[in-house]
Order: sequence, then structure tokens, then C-alpha cells
Amino acid sequence: MPENAKKDDRGLRIGVCGPVGTGKSSLIALLCRELSADLEIGVVTNDIYTDEDARFLRSAGVLDPARIRAVETGACPHTAIRDDVTANLIAVEELEEEFAPLDVVLVESGGDNLTATFSPALVDTQIFLIDVAGGGDVARKGGPGIERADLLVVNKTDLAPYVGVDPVAMVSDAGSVREGRPVIALSRTDPASVEALVEWVRSELARHRGGALVPTDPGPMAPHFHADGTSHVHDHDHQHA
Amino acid sequence: MSDDLLMMLLADARLPVAGHTQSGQLEAAVRSGLTAEQVPVFMRSRLASVVRVEAGTAVVALHRLRAGLPLEPVLDAWAARTPAAPMRDTSRTLGRAMLRLVRRLFPHSPHLAEVAGLERPCRPIVLAAAAATGGIAPASLGRLVAYDDLQTVASAALKLLPLDPLDATSWVHDLLPKAERLATEVAPLTDPHHIPAPSAPQLDLWAQTHAHTTRRLFSA
Repeated sequence: MPENAKKDDRGLRIGVCGPVGTGKSSLIALLCRELSADLEIGVVTNDIYTDEDARFLRSAGVLDPARIRAVETGACPHTAIRDDVTANLIAVEELEEEFAPLDVVLVESGGDNLTATFSPALVDTQIFLIDVAGGGDVARKGGPGIERADLLVVNKTDLAPYVGVDPVAMVSDAGSVREGRPVIALSRTDPASVEALVEWVRSELARHRGGALVPTDPGPMAPHFHADGTSHVHDHDHQHA
Repeated sequence: MSDDLLMMLLADARLPVAGHTQSGQLEAAVRSGLTAEQVPVFMRSRLASVVRVEAGTAVVALHRLRAGLPLEPVLDAWAARTPAAPMRDTSRTLGRAMLRLVRRLFPHSPHLAEVAGLERPCRPIVLAAAAATGGIAPASLGRLVAYDDLQTVASAALKLLPLDPLDATSWVHDLLPKAERLATEVAPLTDPHHIPAPSAPQLDLWAQTHAHTTRRLFSA
């Protein structure tokens, strides 16, 4: 059983990953801005050059800078969220110890490729981020994050007219590979989309607190792994909790 | 069972103990001008200085664990011989990482429980507790510390410098006799006061500088 499963009453750990430049740091800044009035938040970042993302977040002024930690990954962002999560887990635990009790810790992966997703040993739930500027066919290409992350965000929809992408088709493509898992088309200039994102986080937090949230591994392969130690090849009769 | 397999497991780069975050100060050295050709010299300098301290600390801690003697004097002796605060911090963080793993491997080990009770134990002391639990001999423990350091620098070098990976592994191989000598020298140590106390001010300075840079791949 991943160590992460021994939750006690710690806060919710949310992973944010996706390719370089899709807006992970901005999304985290947005969440801090929207949630920090009533939730205690910490952030761990994994920029390939240590603290580029941490500095962005500190300069955004949405969170006490002491609550933002940068973790070195030795140029291995995928390793740090997947096969050796130790450095990130220690950073998360230190934040949780220092600022107890935290409601939410956001872990931002270094920008990687479409196959990188978080180990369930590190986070309870994860957001995979793509953007319209990356091309309308990205969602169709699929991959573990796009298909099976707890939430898929298609970001920067306000840029769609400038890059010749139909955001509605992109979200529909994503929906068709995700078997009903949620997709949010996000633009920071669209308050309704921001509200949808915030609501998703609040509902995950409620599930976590109620003990109903079991970390689910999106990939990289089709058979699913659950934090309770069971695994199975996906079958369409099976309903995920 | 011989201690060979446990040694291999603990020396494996794939061990989930945050090894990929470390360069042994090589990143700072490269930033201040160290070239690819100088990496083997850099590795040898570490064997002669910080690695001697770490290996000596590990072996003395192993002795005291087996003899039922307190470990605080070992931790103090190690800290006194590790003047750069970022290096102490890193070793303690890596100790926490290693402890997380070995407590899973040996959940009932009294030695690990004892080390877990220390205030932020450094990595060599955690390794010593794993060695005490798994029946690893003092010289083997010294080899483990030395070998791990060589590989840490060599693999970080591949990220930082234009290198053929075969060259980097050759450097590790060529330094194995030096690692062996180091292990043999520290193996008989039992007294914290006898842990070697060499100094490497340039490594200390690099560690201190590196801790304050804003663009780095590896920790200080």
C-alpha cells in the first residue's frame, strides 16, 4: 500500500501536471487566489530549474512565500512525480508539519510530455493540463493523463480564435476518450470556467475528508492500479468510486 | 545469506531515496568552470574529504549500534566535520529519505527505531542502522558510502556536461581501488573522535553558493 494511503486527517494533496507552457503555474496561482480566503494552502513546485515556478508564484502574491517550496529534480521531472517521489513527499510533509493544519497541498510537476502522471503515493487526485495553443488534435492523441487523470483541463480557451482551434470540438474529443471523467475548458477571463474549477477542487476536498477519495493511478498503461493494492484491466462495467 | 544482495539493493541508483536530486556539488563546480576532463579529479577529491567523513561516520555509528552505545556523539562528530550548513541539511534530508525506505524494508528493526528517534539523523547514520539490521560488515558499509558518491557525481555529470556515458562509468570503475582503500581504512573505527576530519573548503564554498542560486537542477 502506498505510504500516501495512511492519510490520518492530513489535507488533500492535488497534483498538477501536463506539457510545458500549458499554464500549470498560472492555474495554481488562480486556485490560490480563489481558495486562500477560506482554505489553508501549501504549494510544491518542480520546475526543471529549481525555483522558476516558485518565483512566479511568489511574485503573483497570492500566497505567503514561505508556503511555496521548490524541489530540485536533477532534470528528471518525470522521476520526481512517478518512480521516486521521495523528494516531493518530504517537501509536502514539511509544509504540512510547518503550517499545520493545511487543507490542500498543490504539487506542480515540472513540464513534461503527455505520458507523465503522478504516482498515487504522492497525490490523492490529479489535474492534467493541456491548452488550445498546443493544437486541436492533442486531446485526440490521448495518453494516460488526458484519458484518466481525475480532471482534464483544456486551458487558454480565450486564445482559440487566434490559433485556429475549435475549443468545443477539443473538449468533446477529450470527453470521448475519458469515459465520463470531468473535463473543464478553462480561461481565466471566463468566470464560469474558473468557478467550475474551484467547485471541482472543493468537491474533491469533500470526498477526501469523507474518506471516499481513493487515489487512482491514471497510467501509464491501461490496467488500473488502486491505492488499496488491487489492480485490474479496465472493463466497461466497472464503475470507479 | 551473504550481505551481497542487500548491498546491491542499497547501492542501486533506482532506489527511491531522492538520489536523482543530488550532484555532490558538481553542479556548482561546473558553474564555476570545472570541465568534463576534471570530473575524475573532482570525484577523487570528494573521496579524500567529505566521503571519508561520511564513511567514517557510518562505520562508527554501526559499531555503536551493535554495542548498544548512544548515537548522539556520532551525529555531533559528523556535524562538526561538515562545516557547510547546506551539506548538513542535504545529508539530513537524504537521511530522512533513506529512513523512509529502510523502515519499510525492516519494520521491526530496533536499530532503525533508535535512529528514527534522533533529531534529524544524517544519511550515514541511517545507512549504519540498515547495515546493523541487515548484517552488513563495516568495510562493506564504507564501500557502499564511497561507491554511492562516485555514482552520484558520475550520473549528475551526464546531465551537466557533454559526455559519453561510457566515459563516466569508466571513471567510477577506475576509482574503485581508491574507494576500496577508503573503506578498509575506516572499517576499524569505533570512536566518534577518530572519525577522519579532513577539510575541503572549496567544496564547502560551492555548497554554500549553490544553496543561494535560483536556477539549479540539483540540490546543494
